[in-house]
Amino acid sequence: MNIAASPHATGAQGAAHGGPLRDPLLAVESISLSFGGLKAVSEVSFDIRRGEIRAIIGPNGAGKTSMLNCINGFYHPQEGRITFKGVARRRMKPHEAASQGIARTFQNVALFKGMSTLDNIMTGRALKMRRGFLWQLLRHGPALAEEIEHRKFCEEIIDFLEIEHIRKTPVGKLPYGLQKRVELGRALAMEPDLLLLDEPMAGMNVEEKRDMSRFILDVNRHFGMTIALIEHDMGVVMDLSDRVVVLEYGRKIADGSPDEVKSNQRVIDAYLGVAR
Amino acid sequence: MFYREAGQFKATYAADQAVFPIRQDRIGLALILVAAYVAVPLLGGDFLLSSVMIPFLILSLAAIALNILTGYAGLVSLGTAGFMGAGAYAAYKLSTLFPQVNILVWIVVSGFASCAIGVLFGLPSLRIKGFYLTVATLASQFFLQWCFVRVSWLYNYNPSGAIEVPARALFGLAITGPSASPVTRYLIVLTIVVAMTWFASNLVHGRIGRSWMAIRDMDIAAQLIGIRLYPAKLLAFAVSSFYAGVAGAMMVFLWLGAAEPDAFNINLSFLLLFMVIIGGLGSLTGSFFGAALIHILPIAVRQAPASVGLTIGGATVEHLTYVITGAMIIVFLIVEPHGLARLLQIGKQKLRTWPFPY
Ligand SMILES: Nc1ncnc2c1ncn2[C@@H]1O[C@H](COP(=O)(O)OP(=O)(O)O)[C@@H](O)[C@H]1O
Ligand SMILES: [Mg+2]
Repeated sequence: MNIAASPHATGAQGAAHGGPLRDPLLAVESISLSFGGLKAVSEVSFDIRRGEIRAIIGPNGAGKTSMLNCINGFYHPQEGRITFKGVARRRMKPHEAASQGIARTFQNVALFKGMSTLDNIMTGRALKMRRGFLWQLLRHGPALAEEIEHRKFCEEIIDFLEIEHIRKTPVGKLPYGLQKRVELGRALAMEPDLLLLDEPMAGMNVEEKRDMSRFILDVNRHFGMTIALIEHDMGVVMDLSDRVVVLEYGRKIADGSPDEVKSNQRVIDAYLGVAR
Repeated sequence: MFYREAGQFKATYAADQAVFPIRQDRIGLALILVAAYVAVPLLGGDFLLSSVMIPFLILSLAAIALNILTGYAGLVSLGTAGFMGAGAYAAYKLSTLFPQVNILVWIVVSGFASCAIGVLFGLPSLRIKGFYLTVATLASQFFLQWCFVRVSWLYNYNPSGAIEVPARALFGLAITGPSASPVTRYLIVLTIVVAMTWFASNLVHGRIGRSWMAIRDMDIAAQLIGIRLYPAKLLAFAVSSFYAGVAGAMMVFLWLGAAEPDAFNINLSFLLLFMVIIGGLGSLTGSFFGAALIHILPIAVRQAPASVGLTIGGATVEHLTYVITGAMIIVFLIVEPHGLARLLQIGKQKLRTWPFPY
């Protein structure tokens, strides 16, 4: 894939290997979110550094998905502050988060079911395509050139994710594991600075999990993309992530390297003890 | 049949991004165009042109208008006839106020008038979804219909309340009014419909069409990709009502010759929705299939018994048509929601891979 050739990706890659690795891309400060009386997230703070894979773990209902929804502007926390690329903000709309470089996948696949794999991934390029209405009417000259240029980019993603054979298949007809892969492709097509993955391996068999882990690692290592990953499989989390934050009942109970978290007594009690 | 893509390797993405990547499809399209432009006018009689082809083409364009809104953007509308009426009355007013400007110009401009009204009604509808949106479009249908009856300025205070098409010519050739020949009117309708179908096809195959379909399939995910819902939906309203307006203007000027307000009533809106459902939601080809079926079915029902020596009354024809249409809608909604267009696609897929099942 040629994502590395694009200017920001090389920049991020440089950062991953070089100096400002400690620079937080995203900082979440005492975020609280409640639905009516229910506190989904209570005063959670953590940060995500450029170039890292940051895992968010916790039992079901701990508030992990809600946290991601706050980060990309889908939910608006009642309290707290989110700083992305050095800019703090209270409220923002999902499409604004997208234009600032945040992409995500969903716990329950949220693909465009009536469209083909290719069209789904091409839709991920929506923000990069600039030709206006009149050019679109003609679909010639610059509009067609733009369409082809982005098609090339999407084909690189399709190659990378090894989904060439289902390029023209309506995604509604694909098995679940492949749908998850297409959804990752659509997020990658946005060339985001921060990629939020909500349980990308839920419901997959061992082989599919291995493939998906490989893709996630490649996206991070080769293209320098910063990733926040929600995952239940502790083996995967330990293998992939640089740092882990643990939530329980909407509160943060631990934060640190996989080894630190693994040996934290509260985590063992609250999560590992229950899960295993 | 040699419907194969064997040997047709697409060396470039340009070729594969074409609207019709398979050569046989392009040849088929060319054949249809030749038949439409040469064979039909040469071989078809006045009945075929005036009562079958012209209405079929105009209804197809109106079905495309609705399909853009409903099939592509997922906004179910029952207001299409109202917007067709807006186009028709705009064309009527403009052509009687400024008779020196060519009527074809006014037909296209009336699309913009309908488009403006569509945007006006679309704006408050952006925040509502599904059933509520459909009810809002129904309200616009009734409001516009009320205007066509009550605002007598719209029909130049004609005591009958109807609009009658003035005779207009292009390069000395009569194109509207009683002296315009069916062939002339047919060729004009055909050209406008072909051009607008081409534009629509370009739109739905590119960035804009993809963003409409994304909103239709999963609006939350569309937003998180950076698609802004309101502008995209408003654009769908604008384009759809433009198409409906042009179809409405053509309906009065090039098909009926005169129209009462009732021509643009809710029945027509429903009929167009049936065409889109039977033909195929989210398919331009399907819009043509749907229009053909809904328009030609009653004609066929009327003529079929006569051709085997039976006579049946007009009321029976009407009832039979309703029954058959209703049955087809139910069948398509249950069995194949993507309509005739999808059946054709499945058929082509079978041909392509025949005799192997995959
Ligand atoms: N839109 C919502 N409305 C009401 N309650 C919600 C909503 N979203 C999440 N919740 C609640 O917030 C809590 C956290 O949910 P969630 O973030 O999905 O947890 P996780 O992803 O960690 O399993 C749950 O109790 C859930 O029921
Ligand atoms: Mg969750």
